[in-house]
Amino acid sequence: MAVAQSVPAESNWIPSTCGMCLHGCGIRVQVRDGVALKIEGDPTNPDNLGKLCPKGNAGLSRLYDSTRVLKPMKRTNPRKGPGIDPKWVEISWDEAYGTVARELGKVRADDPRKLLCAIGDFQRILLWGWPAVFGSPNFFTSLGNYCGGSYHPVNGSVDGSFAAINDYDRCNYWIQIGSGDGFSSHLHLSGSAKRMADARMRGMRVVTLDPRMSVAAAKADEWIPTLPGTDRAFVLGMAHVLIHELKQYDREFLRDRTNAPYLVKEDGYLLRDDEGRAMVWDMQLAAPQPWNAAAPADMALEGAYEFAGMRVRTGFQVWADQLRDHTPERMSEICTVSAETIRRIAREFVEAAQIGATVEIEGKTYPFRPAALNYYRGSQSHANGLFDNLTYKMFNMLVGNIDVPGGHLGVPLDHRGFFIHEGEDGVLKPEPHQLHPAPPFKYPPDSTHLMEWFPIGFDAGQLNTETLLEPERFGLNYSPEVMLMYHSNPLWNLPETDKVEKIMARMKFVVAIDIQRTESTEWADVFLPDHTYLESYLLNCLEPPAVTGHSLRQPVVEPVGDTKDAYEILTEIAERLGFRDDWNDLLNVVTGFTANPKYLLDPEKRYGVEELWDRYARSIYGDDKGLDWFKEHGHAVRYRTPEETYMPYGKLRIPFYFEFIKRLGDEMQQKFEQVGMKDWPLDNYQPLPFWKNSQVIEDGKAGYRFYAITFKESLHTFADTVVMPWLSEVSEKDAIHGGILVNPITAENLGIQTGSRIRLTSPAGSIEGQAQVVEGIHPEVFGVSNAITRHFVTNDRQKQRGSHFNRLLTGSMRYTDSATGGLESSARVRVEKI
Amino acid sequence: MARLGMVIDLKRCIGCNACTLACKQENGTPEGVHYARVITREVGTYPKTRRTFLPVLCNHCDDAPCAQACPSGATWIRNDGLVMVEREKCIGCRACAVACPYMNRHFMEKGLLEHGYSTDGLSPYEAIKFAEFEEGTMTKCTLCGHRVDQGLEPACVITCPTDARIFGDLEPEDGKLQKLIRERKGWTLLPECNTKPSVFYLDD
Ligand code: SF4
Ligand code: SF4
Ligand code: SF4
Repeated sequence: MAVAQSVPAESNWIPSTCGMCLHGCGIRVQVRDGVALKIEGDPTNPDNLGKLCPKGNAGLSRLYDSTRVLKPMKRTNPRKGPGIDPKWVEISWDEAYGTVARELGKVRADDPRKLLCAIGDFQRILLWGWPAVFGSPNFFTSLGNYCGGSYHPVNGSVDGSFAAINDYDRCNYWIQIGSGDGFSSHLHLSGSAKRMADARMRGMRVVTLDPRMSVAAAKADEWIPTLPGTDRAFVLGMAHVLIHELKQYDREFLRDRTNAPYLVKEDGYLLRDDEGRAMVWDMQLAAPQPWNAAAPADMALEGAYEFAGMRVRTGFQVWADQLRDHTPERMSEICTVSAETIRRIAREFVEAAQIGATVEIEGKTYPFRPAALNYYRGSQSHANGLFDNLTYKMFNMLVGNIDVPGGHLGVPLDHRGFFIHEGEDGVLKPEPHQLHPAPPFKYPPDSTHLMEWFPIGFDAGQLNTETLLEPERFGLNYSPEVMLMYHSNPLWNLPETDKVEKIMARMKFVVAIDIQRTESTEWADVFLPDHTYLESYLLNCLEPPAVTGHSLRQPVVEPVGDTKDAYEILTEIAERLGFRDDWNDLLNVVTGFTANPKYLLDPEKRYGVEELWDRYARSIYGDDKGLDWFKEHGHAVRYRTPEETYMPYGKLRIPFYFEFIKRLGDEMQQKFEQVGMKDWPLDNYQPLPFWKNSQVIEDGKAGYRFYAITFKESLHTFADTVVMPWLSEVSEKDAIHGGILVNPITAENLGIQTGSRIRLTSPAGSIEGQAQVVEGIHPEVFGVSNAITRHFVTNDRQKQRGSHFNRLLTGSMRYTDSATGGLESSARVRVEKI
Repeated sequence: MARLGMVIDLKRCIGCNACTLACKQENGTPEGVHYARVITREVGTYPKTRRTFLPVLCNHCDDAPCAQACPSGATWIRNDGLVMVEREKCIGCRACAVACPYMNRHFMEKGLLEHGYSTDGLSPYEAIKFAEFEEGTMTKCTLCGHRVDQGLEPACVITCPTDARIFGDLEPEDGKLQKLIRERKGWTLLPECNTKPSVFYLDD
């Protein structure tokens, strides 16, 4: 590959894109005599403004890591199991492909669903459809779902976004719950940290809720420790205060920009006229009127009304009534934050929101609501995650801050921006599924993770641990025999590792595409080594909070070993199995070429990786901006305009009363009844969120006294970088990665000191590690840094300190949000000194 | 003449260690050697507790005890205030390391340059970077003198995601560094040692 020619001769700095986490900040790499010497942030990229987080700064140590796999390998030891040496030997690509094609070909001819796939390379999201073309719907990993299982569907349902963030530039009062945004993780950390620091310097107040003294908590004006999975109670308490005590909320926003005034019947459905139009209460006429016929000023936001012998209430009123008993006192008992604090933060928040204020930006007037609540994994990756997410969004709606300056802003999945389509009743069409179309209901199900049973969900990979071991309970009428892993580590990321091992042991053949060996690849029969990000091509744009546009990843050096681009690998396998034409067709869909036929891939032709990205670039940016243009300029990233950022859906309303969720639940119930399946849980298909105990709370009553959580900070991604010596050398020095964190009060009660060996036992399993006593953790919580949770290829020090947290989690429906498939990421545990 | 230095704004700093890693890759230091580090501490008791982050590097002291302690003349001070070590002259006596109250001198132990971070041998990157070092001699942060000479800011400064590290000349009274130090009451580490550090801190 003639890499050197891709940059101007006088320069040895090559623009590219970081691949150390999924987001992809702009970088430039200094190369001399074919050796990469330095990675810096690309100063011309407005996303990260020349800055890089520690992971981005450690990229060279991945490229040159001696534990990389540099040639295809096959195992020679037929015995598989934890700690059993596969006795790898290097083989040629041809032999490797031959074996893979033979084994995958056999299963495809028999029943393609018998292939289990675990794909985890987020940046190469365009390749995720490969298993579908093969004929397998299966998703054998909880990656993505672990963090965003309930988060993404709710963002998509509210405003067609994929993620969300508060307005760094204009927010004055920022509540942060269970998230590292701007401080240690999530969306494009390098640039976000700069934006957050600037906001704090101009006086923005930050209040952080977290069971642990996270960086966001350490830098906040106020840290409020909570119990895992109970943040929703805190926020429902604040909503009660706004609605019932202070009676301060943005009436105009709720009335004119949401469906909160739409009338709800006692059966939970909206009142509609003969033409199917949703009705509002017209206060002038003292009668219902179609939503688009009543003058806004006459529309009732609150109230219960009698009409034709029926009692109807506005959607807003239904929630207000539901929240009547969600008093700060009652919520305080759940989340352990005092009622006084719940009241005070609610008051500070609504005052800072400046309800009624406006601001002019580039000649246009917008509502100005400089107070917003931001949240991510810790606050909502729980068994009632749908309610968690709805609560946080609706609390923001109470002050009218959704997608307005200063407020809580949707972040699009990619360059396409928000998914904006008009839905029913003048409301934005909910887009809970953005990564693939919602699968139609099916019984028996096709997929082992039951995707056909989650019409608004993400892919609930954790359910594999139940469905594959007890298939008859779910009507699954086949049993997977072959596995393909592509940069995914199911043995680490799925809960209940013992069960995952059992499933892996049943596989007749496993192929892994990856950079390094992992817990999971040790079970592979053939290992196909991928390029690192510094050796490969990709046009990347993923969840950029402030900007939009693609950044090019390009090879900066010759591949270090005999590795290949994952696209080439998957294409070659498709070719050998005889479905390269269908693979091209699928790529045509996911790239958007189908809407732009000039760039359509010919099913009969094989395209190289450069050709693919060249077409993709030209299809988006025009024929003068193909791969060559990107090789030289690096990126086409620009700030999102105010029009793209603030209310990009114009006059369309957003949902406040989520009737469509209730409807989907009722439809699912009918479908399950028709097929005679009666016990499938559907209880979370609710139009509005409220407090309800989860299984985790019930476990507490059964003697599991403490909570266990896991967390990450800026030095590491959740699992991938933990094996990198440059990074682990630094994280090892910080006490928070020094062992299982425990509060001194609890430690004393249990007779534990820093260094004591302890065992945590949950209903699912137990882990052992070394205690680390710290002040910065809730007394009822034990914290396990992700930096000490890998059990393979880590050094002895890391092994001594911690253990594999995910063993404490449970994969079953009892620990899964029944509507979204979101996984419970905290556990109740008993703790003993050993 | 100039007196180059740095102001580190602890209100901005989030303890991310991007500086630690940027320094690592810029200078290619071997295992265990970090010119830039972040010292993390817990203060207070639950629930009134905090984690504090203190990024440290060589202070390029105006009255550098390391230079005074150095018997061979290997440690010298540039006109712009940068405290340097001349490898060829260093006799490895470690007097400077004892003298530096900040533990910012790093000794290249025997065998340290034989292996890189990886299990076997040196990577092509390490082979190039390690050629700059010599076992048995002292090494330290140079305030990225090699970058400064090209008109570039130190590696830790340009990468800092929060712009917490501000590099410049401490001499001009109306310069950005002195202004920040005045306005926010900048302070230095271990003032009682009278080393006159060129690295100042601004309170969180
Ligand atoms: S890079 Fe900046 S924010 Fe991060 S630890 Fe260093 S000084 Fe602090
Ligand atoms: S910090 Fe230490 S090494 Fe640096 S100049 Fe001062 S005394 Fe010398
Ligand atoms: S100035 Fe240069 S050598 Fe010194 S700590 Fe910063 S990056 Fe390292």
